[in-house]
Amino acid sequence: MIEMVIDTAGDANEEENPMTATTGPGTPPEASKEASEEASEEASEEASVERVRAQVAAWLAENWQPGGGGPRWRERLVDSGWAAPTWPVEWFGRGLHRDLRRVVAEEFTRVGAKPAALDVTQLFANTILAHGTDEQKRSFVRPLALGEQQGCLLYSEPGAGSDLAALQTRADRDGDTWVVNGQKVWTSGAREATHGFLVARTDWDVPKHRGLTFFWLPLDQPGVDIRPIHQVTGGSEFNEVFLTDAVVADTHRLGDVNDGWRVLQTALGFERLIMGAAAGGSSRQRRRAGGGETTLADRQSPWTRQIGGADYVELAKKVGKADDPVTRQEIARLYTLEKVNAWNGLRARADAGRGASSPLASIGKLAMSRIVHTGVDVTTNLLGASSVLDGDTDPVAAEVNRSSFAAFVTSIGGGTDQIQRNIIGERVLGLPREPEVDKNVPFREVRKAQATRRFS
Amino acid sequence: MGTFEFTDDHEALRSTVRAFVEETFPEAQVRRLMAAPSALERPGWERMARELGLQGLVVPEEHGGAGAGPVELAIVLEELGRRLVPVPFLSTALATIALVGGDRAVTAGYLEAVAEGRVVATVALAEDGGGWDAAGVHCAAVSGDGDGGGWRLTGTKSFVPDGLDADLLVVAARTPAGVGLFAVDGAADGVSRSALEVFDLTRRLARVRLDGVAATPLSAPADAAVFDRFLDAARIAVAAEQAGGADFALAMAVGYAKERVQFGRAIGSFQAVKHLCADAFVDVESARSAAYYGAWALAQDSPEVATVAPLAKAFCSEAFFSTARTNMQVHGGISFTYEHPAHLYYRRARSGVQLWGSPRANRDLLATRIGL
Repeated sequence: MIEMVIDTAGDANEEENPMTATTGPGTPPEASKEASEEASEEASEEASVERVRAQVAAWLAENWQPGGGGPRWRERLVDSGWAAPTWPVEWFGRGLHRDLRRVVAEEFTRVGAKPAALDVTQLFANTILAHGTDEQKRSFVRPLALGEQQGCLLYSEPGAGSDLAALQTRADRDGDTWVVNGQKVWTSGAREATHGFLVARTDWDVPKHRGLTFFWLPLDQPGVDIRPIHQVTGGSEFNEVFLTDAVVADTHRLGDVNDGWRVLQTALGFERLIMGAAAGGSSRQRRRAGGGETTLADRQSPWTRQIGGADYVELAKKVGKADDPVTRQEIARLYTLEKVNAWNGLRARADAGRGASSPLASIGKLAMSRIVHTGVDVTTNLLGASSVLDGDTDPVAAEVNRSSFAAFVTSIGGGTDQIQRNIIGERVLGLPREPEVDKNVPFREVRKAQATRRFS
Repeated sequence: MGTFEFTDDHEALRSTVRAFVEETFPEAQVRRLMAAPSALERPGWERMARELGLQGLVVPEEHGGAGAGPVELAIVLEELGRRLVPVPFLSTALATIALVGGDRAVTAGYLEAVAEGRVVATVALAEDGGGWDAAGVHCAAVSGDGDGGGWRLTGTKSFVPDGLDADLLVVAARTPAGVGLFAVDGAADGVSRSALEVFDLTRRLARVRLDGVAATPLSAPADAAVFDRFLDAARIAVAAEQAGGADFALAMAVGYAKERVQFGRAIGSFQAVKHLCADAFVDVESARSAAYYGAWALAQDSPEVATVAPLAKAFCSEAFFSTARTNMQVHGGISFTYEHPAHLYYRRARSGVQLWGSPRANRDLLATRIGL
């Protein structure tokens, strides 16, 4: 459910934007804070940790059957509130402070049950809980929690990548419904989804950020045409979504008309929360596996593991280049990049743990981009001439070839390296923004990119 | 105390040292010491020991020090590095690391003298060939037979930091069994020292000729493990100082990019300049992480020290140089004037790349230590 290209820069001067460099990883966006803070005083006490632990354990003892959870497990889990401990009690949660998520997860893991942690992973329900009406919460949250409904993200367009606020898909009001026309792109999971978070332009006579509205669009209708993208990697994880007189009821609008940019920032914040949680987990696992020793696993980034399980050191030995001075420099340099990036992540978490704001969170993506591209260079040099081969002729080369393209998912997707440098320069270092030619100009009058991709 | 978990005491140490440095070593004072015959002024050196206890920071309490560890030392070095403090603190700190790692029966007296600010110490490691590892050590240590078991050193050491001012030289010398560290009195017979003309105006280097000089081994001679451990600790200490220099050079560049106006706007608003600064920020923060991680690995006596040390020295020195270069580029023409401080950082950074082992040498060592 992650879009390939997500704007994080076009909005830097918008106050609503929760994406600030001083926000540490794992910090939930403001929406979930409200519920959390009410419980925080009490929850911070050790006694409440033990009370919650006992409550989870008691519920699991009654409801969990090893090996499957038993009949209607998912329903019982969602209705119990333990699937999303920090959600409000009236909306399928327990109203707990986010610090107690860990306790709930530990108890689930202890009996062999997978903690749902929907309050982290279910970005659609999280966003609906933050911005939806009670009626919308009643209609959408439970089906999402149960997996009866699934979402995808209809944000980027062929003409709106880094500058997402310049999107041109339009929603025109027709009584109690809206009629949507345009094209979205880089939508993963669209074929499995029942609905999409749609950002569309509803006012063309105001500056770009102020004329957008956010919808929960049903996908099962004639006006929605989903086409897989044929990617350079050979895969088709992403889709294009063509919207031609697609219809969405006004009851499916999240937030006010023309206030969609604010809702989007909340949704993007929850998306980062998911990515932050994923990154934290893998790093902890790696540390545990390493145990302080420089093990083989320690040397392997998730990236190198993708390259047919090849480890740089092992690969260098295999191809007889372990003594080659250039190879040794390249591998040591790559090892260094991976290590310092991992340490930056650890340091960011330690800073966040002390309550200190850390600008380190903003550099991980840019650093990772360099790592993946450099990693492919190193393996390509190790393979030498055979890197020109592909397919079944040389499966190792084929894997490296695929990886060399996949590296662009990091350097382009989720904000290009260039946009990341703007973010660091402006939000971390405090350098001034470039003058913007579309600032305070009605979007109708702004020069625009081509709104749709044409097929040859 | 987990890795990267700085305590309130750490922050207090940092702000104390920062305030001291800003008051005692403003740029004008650094420039005055640069031009003076020696960067060492004994009264100030003694006051630094007496009032702040900096020289005794990592000296064990039983020998008159604060008994602090590598993390605290890294904080102090980072702060001194930020302002190019030209007094022989790094030299003395490296010698202290060697003394603490040695046989206390031999080193106790030296440690007390260092902590009290009575002596300036340094480490004489490299020679004319410029290698900062055991392989580069040719200076000969000979055990005198009918001479009460004393040792005598003969050879030439070079690139010795503050080698002219040092009262105590910790010298790496080769015994028949391997390389060990020896204490040599700077005023001993047979020691002749000459200043080297150097590029970095805030760090003085000397060439030291040893001709049958009496020396005391810091520990059982030719203990390769002790020597390696000292080298790794030194690499991490140097890396911390470099991270500090890089941090300040970046702050200079960013500050100027916000103020300097061309084409009707601050030059930092141009992406060409902004992106230079952003890349430098990634380098600087990564350098600090590497130096801190190394310091914590030392403090925890982790086996990771072996890989982190060469990694940190290679990375931090290159990050500092690259940032110092960016700083000059962002400043444009003004950085080409002697009066502007940008060149002082460039000089310190560029020399620091090669001193205590080049990035290539350190990366090659890292490659070996990760199994290549």
